[in-house]
Formats: sequence, C-alpha cells, structure tokens
Amino acid sequence: MAQKRPIIHVQDIRKVYRMGEEEVVALNRINLKIYKGEVCCIFGTSGSGKSTLLNQLAGMEKPTSGRVLIQGRNISAMSEEELAAFRQRNIGFIFQSYNLLPSMTAVENVAMPLMFRGVGKEIRERQARVLLERVGLSHRMDHYPGQMSGGQQQRAGIARAFVTRPQVVFADEPTGNLDSRTTEEIMKMIMGFARKYRETIILVTHDPGMARFADRIVTLKDGNIIGDERKDEDGRYE
Amino acid sequence: MRTGDLLRVCLQNLLRHKARTLLTVLGVVVGCCSVVIMISIGIGMKKAQEEALAQMGDLTIIQVYPSGKGAQSARINKKAVDQMKKLKGVEAATPKLTEEGIPLVIYGGRDRRYRTAYASVVGIDLSVAETMGYRLMEGEWKTGKKDRVYVGQNFAYLFEDTKRPEGRNTVDMYSGSWTEDGTLDAPPPFFEVMKTPLIFELDSGKEDGKKVARELEVGGRLKEDYGKGEETFMGLIMSLETYDSLLEQQARLSGKQRDGRKGYQGALVKVKDIRFVAQAEKEIQQMGFRTSSMESIRKPMEQEARQKQLMLGGLGTISLFVAALGITNTMIMSISERTREIGVMKSLGCFVRDVRKIFLLEAGCIGLLGGITGTAVSYLISVLMNFAAARSPSGLSADLPAGTAARLSIIPWWLALFAVLFSVAIGVGAGYYPANRAVGIPALEAIRHD
Repeated sequence: MAQKRPIIHVQDIRKVYRMGEEEVVALNRINLKIYKGEVCCIFGTSGSGKSTLLNQLAGMEKPTSGRVLIQGRNISAMSEEELAAFRQRNIGFIFQSYNLLPSMTAVENVAMPLMFRGVGKEIRERQARVLLERVGLSHRMDHYPGQMSGGQQQRAGIARAFVTRPQVVFADEPTGNLDSRTTEEIMKMIMGFARKYRETIILVTHDPGMARFADRIVTLKDGNIIGDERKDEDGRYE
Repeated sequence: MRTGDLLRVCLQNLLRHKARTLLTVLGVVVGCCSVVIMISIGIGMKKAQEEALAQMGDLTIIQVYPSGKGAQSARINKKAVDQMKKLKGVEAATPKLTEEGIPLVIYGGRDRRYRTAYASVVGIDLSVAETMGYRLMEGEWKTGKKDRVYVGQNFAYLFEDTKRPEGRNTVDMYSGSWTEDGTLDAPPPFFEVMKTPLIFELDSGKEDGKKVARELEVGGRLKEDYGKGEETFMGLIMSLETYDSLLEQQARLSGKQRDGRKGYQGALVKVKDIRFVAQAEKEIQQMGFRTSSMESIRKPMEQEARQKQLMLGGLGTISLFVAALGITNTMIMSISERTREIGVMKSLGCFVRDVRKIFLLEAGCIGLLGGITGTAVSYLISVLMNFAAARSPSGLSADLPAGTAARLSIIPWWLALFAVLFSVAIGVGAGYYPANRAVGIPALEAIRHD
C-alpha cells in the first residue's frame, strides 16, 4: 500500500506544554507518514499524547517545533483564515460527542460545512439529504439533534464529515459514547465510506477493539511512537 | 458564508432563547423610547417657542429707524431704501411714513356724522403690504389709480357720533360679553367701515380755519397684529404717495415748508428666510440706522432650547447605554454557552470573519428589533402625552403662551430613523467585545471532552 508521496507527513513534531514551572512533553519528536486511502488508528492510553497528535495533524494547535504537511502543504504555518479555507476543502471531522448544533435540523447540520464554503441552500441541502439517506437517516432528516438517539446523531455526524468529500477525515473516539452494538454499526459505516471514496481516515482511540478496524495501528506512549503495525492480507498485524 | 445564511444562523440563535432575547430587546426598547421621547419633548419645546415668537411678530421682518435726530445722522430716504432692497436675502423693503402732530380729522357716514381725531396713519408702499405681513380680514389688496386706505381691525370704534351728547357718543367695543371660546362678542360700531367712504380733513393749524379735505375709499380691513403696530388695530395705512400729497397740501396751507430732506420715520425690510436676518440687520446698521427684529429675542431662546434638547437627549442616551450593557451581557452569556459550538464551526471550516459577523449580526438584530419597537412605542407615548397635555391646560404646557397648539412632544420622521439606526449602532457596538471573544475561541474546544 506504500506510495511515494504521503498525504500526511509529520516531520519531527515536538509539543511541550507549560504547567506552571514544569514542562510537560506531550509529543517527543514524532515522525509519521500516512498515505492516501489508509485507515490509520492512533492508539494509546489516556495521557499517551494521541489527542495532542490529532490536534497537530488537524492544525488545531501549533507544534512547539517540527511541521505537519498535508498534501505537501505546511499546515503548521497557516493563518487561521487559511486553515479555515483548507479545512473546508480537505478535512472532515467526526467527534466523540457528535457535536451537532442543537438549533439546526439534521439536514442543516450535515450541510453546514458546505454553508461555510458559500454553497447555496438548495444545492447543499440536496447533497446533505443524499448523505443522510446513505447513513440510513432518511426518516430523521428534519429532526433536531435533541430528538435523535446517540447512534443516530453520530450517523448524522458521519454524513457531515463526508459531505464535502474531504481528503482526510479525523475521527476522535467516534464511538466513545455509544454501546457496543451501535459501535460496530458506526465503525462499519465509517469503513464503508473510507473504502468507497478511497478516503484517508485517522482514527484516534484507546479501545483495542476499535483499533482492529484499521489498516494500520500507530501506538503512542508518553509522547513517543512505540509501535507501527500494518494489517497484512490475512488480517494480522505485523 | 452567504449573507442569507449568516442571517438565518443568527435568527436561529436568537430564537433559541426567546425569553432572554425578548428581555434584552425590551431593554433596548426602554432605552430607545427614553431617547426618542426626550428629544421629541425638546423639539416640541422649540416648536412652541417658535410659534410664540411668530405670534409676537414676523421673524423675517426687520424694522429700521434713524439712529438719531442730528443733522449728520443717516436719513431713511428713497435711496437708502433702494440700497436695503439690494442686500442679500432681502425680498422687499418699504419706507414707513408716520408723521406725528398732524391736525387730522377723519369723518365717516352721511353728513360727516361720525368723526375721530385720534387715528394713527401710516404710509407705506402698498404693493408690498402683503409681503410685509399685513393681513386683511375683509377686502383685498388693489393697486390702481384710485387711492385706497386700509383700516385697522377695530378702526370703526374710534369714531364718535356728533349727534349724541358727550359720554354716550362712542361705542365701547369691550362692553360686549366674552364668548365661551374666548373671543369678544363686541357690539356693532356706528357704521360699516367697509361700505363708508372716509373724508380726511387737515386744517392749516392757523387762525384762518382753512382746511383741505379728501375723500378716500376703504379697500380693506386689516387683521390686528401687535408686531406691526397701532395701524392694524385702530389706525390705518395708505400708500406713501397719498399720504405724502396730503401732508404736502397741509404744509402749503399752513405756509410752512415741508422739510423734504428729513426722510421717513422708519422702514420695513423683509428677508426671504430667517437665516438672512442677522446679516441684513448688520449691514443696515452699518448704513447708519437702528434696527430691531425678533432675532435678538430668538437667538438666546434658540440657544436655550438647544441646550435643553441636548440635556434631555443626554438623559435618554444614558438608558440606551444601560441597554447596551444588557446586550453585551446577553451576548457574553450566549457565547460562553456556545463555546463548543463555535469550536465545532471553526473545526468544520467556518471563517473567523464569519464567526465575528454572526455575533455582530445577533447583537445588531437585538438593536434593530429594540429600535423599531421602541420607536413605535414612542409614537404611542407621544400621542398619549399630547392628548393629556391638550386635556389639562394647567399641565406641563402651561408656560407656553396661549393659543399655541399644546403639542408636548413631536417626533419628526428623521428622529424615528435616527432612533432605529442609533439602536442598531448601539447593538453592534455592544456586540463588538463579545464577538471578539467568540473569534478568539479555538477550534480545539470542539474536541475537549467534558
């Protein structure tokens, strides 16, 4: 699966937090290449630095040193406006707590990233309906998040992440708030989208059960990568 | 983001907390009302003042007098009046001939039955009499060959009946009763002044008893006007030429030479607009004359009115500022509730400038809603206030002169427009700080687990 040019290229990232007098090293010189179409799991216990790494990858925080290239563009050096424009085009998000806006219906929520881009209401909502149908929410289109179950909300969240056909989708503990049956369902759905659109997925989790859905598992501990395994054809990690 | 989408998002957010939005809007309504009502009272005051001044006299007329009796002082003659006509903003000018100590007796009625010796006669250029503010109750201004006089409103009461004994030979116009609406129901005079030609008789003032007499037709009856003078009440006006020729004849009779260089006793200058008064007055004074106009009264009154207006408006603005604090408070509250949402929006690619716009719009909407409602409520309050003031003459409008319409508060269209725009500006201003706070919220908030 290895290709010449990675879609995400992490170069020597270091992130240090200051907690009063003390310095906490959250990431210690991380180097990582992720290729197009990969479903990559960043696995680690809480405090391992996996969330910090996600923040760096998605451009939500600036690294102390090093840089992150996505499609060859250095997102660590982008201004907020540039980042916003970049996210509109290239990045999708699936959150642990779904993060649908309570004042908007499912359709409006799914269409939101397109709205930020300036797409007209009719066009974007048509697209949103297509996606919602695909995640099996055709009967909940005009419902508000408060009227939907957790699983339904997360399905709307998935539709929202894929509606812009982004290059990379970040999923941060996407099933952290769901029961095991729904978890299975949601993960299969994400994987389905990933395969269908040849989407790159970065999945952050602490749950080994979740990690097994991924093509590749990068394990973090105390800010260092301690393992990087790819699934072979037989489904075993090497 | 498209403007329509920004608006939709902003309205969705405002509708989410209806009670909170409503209360904040209510604050703006109160603030807006207090500004509008205060300013409208100021405008009402100013208007009442202007009306009062206008009653005292025409604001655009300047009265001109010679500055002294000395030989060197400037004379009001034809040349001087022509010069005044050429000043900037001057619409018309006329000399005013008011000879004193003239032995003039006026007769009316058949066989000279009614007579008076007390009429004050004024000679002016009749072609501009109307421009100068002389108003007719009866008759009309006619300029022609025929000499006409225009008598004061109560001119007829000046006459005595020569066929009745002393003490019962006059009609007292004040002997009538006052009607309910405050007008005098005067008894009729001896004769109808409009239908009776008048005979003007001037004697030589010497022992010989020689007299000149001229019969003049009454062209109209003037409306009483204190700003003009006695001639509109119990006097009369005639054309300069007629009066001049009468005086000429009398002078010849008495054997005295009329001092033609003496000039007129005064002049009237009418300017097109109130704003020309001060300048024209100054220039006439420079020509060597004394002037008087309502300007000297109007100026300080206007200044005082403006000060009061500013003070009232300032008081009103305070409550609008309190409302602004309310908006800021509401917005900050709403932002701290929506921290995560803002993070989500940012992480999904919402531009920072759009985040700012959404919050400024929300604050502006509160201002707009409050402004429109406030202005509407102000109109209502204004109507109620004026109604109350009209009902109680001893009320707030008591210090206004009688006869002015008791409108306590006036809201012109520009005030309504200003109030709405000002409220919006206050709203946006109040939203500025919260919007900046919202902008500063990082996208990271979206992932924070709680």
